[in-house]
Amino acid sequence: MSGIDVTAEQPVTVTGRHRYTDADRVNGLAYSDPDVFELELHRIFTDGWVFVGHDSEIPDVGDFVTRRLGHDPVIMLRDRDRSVLVLANRCSHRGVTLTQAPNGNARSFQCIFHGWTYGLDGSLKGVPQPGGMEMSKSDCSLDRPGQVTSYRGFVFANQSGTAGTLDDHLGTGGRELLDWVCDLSPIGELDISAGWLGQDVASNWKMWAESDLDGYHLGTLHNSLWSVVPDTQYGPAVLAGESIVKATTRNRGGGHVELEFWRGYDRQLAWLGVPRERVADYCEALTERHGRERAEELLWMGPPHALIFPNLFLGEMNLAIIDPIAPDRTVHHHTPLLLAGVDPSFNLRVLRQSEAAMGPAGFLLPDDAAAAERMQVAFGQSGGWMDMSRGRSRERIDERGHVVSHVSDEVPGRGFWGHWAQVMAP
Amino acid sequence: MNTATGFDAGRSDLHTATLEEVSQFLYREARYADDSAYQEWLALWDDTDIVYWVPSGKADYDPDTRISYINDNRNRLQTRIRQLQTGQRYAQTPASPMRRVISNIELLHDGGGGAEGHGAHEIVTASNFVLYEHSIQASDQLRLWVGRSTHRLRRRPNGELCIGAKTVELVNATRALPTLAFLL
Ligand code: FES
Ligand SMILES: [Fe+2]
Repeated sequence: MSGIDVTAEQPVTVTGRHRYTDADRVNGLAYSDPDVFELELHRIFTDGWVFVGHDSEIPDVGDFVTRRLGHDPVIMLRDRDRSVLVLANRCSHRGVTLTQAPNGNARSFQCIFHGWTYGLDGSLKGVPQPGGMEMSKSDCSLDRPGQVTSYRGFVFANQSGTAGTLDDHLGTGGRELLDWVCDLSPIGELDISAGWLGQDVASNWKMWAESDLDGYHLGTLHNSLWSVVPDTQYGPAVLAGESIVKATTRNRGGGHVELEFWRGYDRQLAWLGVPRERVADYCEALTERHGRERAEELLWMGPPHALIFPNLFLGEMNLAIIDPIAPDRTVHHHTPLLLAGVDPSFNLRVLRQSEAAMGPAGFLLPDDAAAAERMQVAFGQSGGWMDMSRGRSRERIDERGHVVSHVSDEVPGRGFWGHWAQVMAP
Repeated sequence: MNTATGFDAGRSDLHTATLEEVSQFLYREARYADDSAYQEWLALWDDTDIVYWVPSGKADYDPDTRISYINDNRNRLQTRIRQLQTGQRYAQTPASPMRRVISNIELLHDGGGGAEGHGAHEIVTASNFVLYEHSIQASDQLRLWVGRSTHRLRRRPNGELCIGAKTVELVNATRALPTLAFLL
């Protein structure tokens, strides 16, 4: 059963020093202990699959973006044969980064230190003063992660090469989410072209995996927004009262967890905030691609709100990357989920919504950051136990084997931590 | 002639602004922002057709195709202010004590002739700022914000200056920023 939960019979010690999770509890030290962070960089961000980027970010030959796998800098680029490669952003000679740019277009990469030059495929093309070169050039290509695989344009990498297949990592539950995202496009493709903004937060990375997927805090932490913008899709879905709202939480297994706001929407296209007439072309194109039934379903549901373990947040019409910097520092990067095959006015709307909600100056995320930073402060040197049991006695397992419950229940938190405990177990 | 302001809307030479007048306006705006005097700050803006833009780099791109930290029209700017005024905008509750220094003020267009692509009487000024923000909402840090602001100022019918557009280019805008829930 995919029912990953933290009803762990045995407490998880991971570093051998402390208990970090118990049944329905997490100790604050799991967010502050440098040894835990170190171990996470190895177990989760080196030995496991992590999201790197989307191939629509680099449409043309030579386009590249720089990212990190854990703390290892990499370049994701479009090679001459149009394939997408992930290369170490580290010169094979003595280890200088080849570029510091967040993105760009290159014909080759030349190291500033001694001038070694690499082709887009990472092969060493030229070295100054080759007479003294002891190594064969073919042994000096840029390193690559052990495994790189993409699914629907979402590029994932695994440094160690020992993570098994991406298919196994995503599972049906994860693949469905990515399919769902792409299905929103009338041609099944994304256009992740608006760039990423980073939010630098003084908290551990796992606060973001939690708070991005916390359906309990919307009415409290974010009340300042609803009190001035009362008419959003979240009103009926989440804020209308505990016994009234229909939105739910879902644990898809493998650490992939979800908030199903869409179950509580009160109308079609609530997620886009426009009436059907305004996007008639879009509705028609979607029907053409998927048939009436699926199109109508998508127009109701809109995009998923889910975490692909460990670092990809499908934040409705945003993608976000959770980037661990230090035990008490994280960058939360986001970009609007622009669709290919839609009218520019559709994507413009998505862009403006993204700016409103996300990032350091958005109407939502700064308050999440305040809560996360105050959690980090609260843990101090001793941690202390946090309760994550909410909804334990009313959650249920549905026909697909997923744990589901009320939108305010801490099912996603337990799903995330249950998987974390498995990956981190000694 | 409006005797209160000495401004005569009929005389085009009186639309022009001096560096002194513009500087005083910018200093006042800075003080309202530093003091989180939200209503007073908002009142400095024109009532319609405004843009408050904090780009994710230099202001050399099309904000309709690339993401920005802030890209507010009048409606969204009002929402921003009203959210701050709820007292529950926890990213700015309590408000950060702040002080900024405005310098290198240049009057790029004094409003006398037509500024390229803008209203004939728009006044364009650019200035640098150094802002120290004491972030006290969680982790108690003194944060440094540095950048360049470009203001497009207009005259109200009564002759008062108001902001038509403000663009703030932060020197570190291409990298991750901490919470920016206060007013730049
Ligand atoms: S370190 Fe790159 S060429 Fe020497
Ligand atoms: Fe939130």
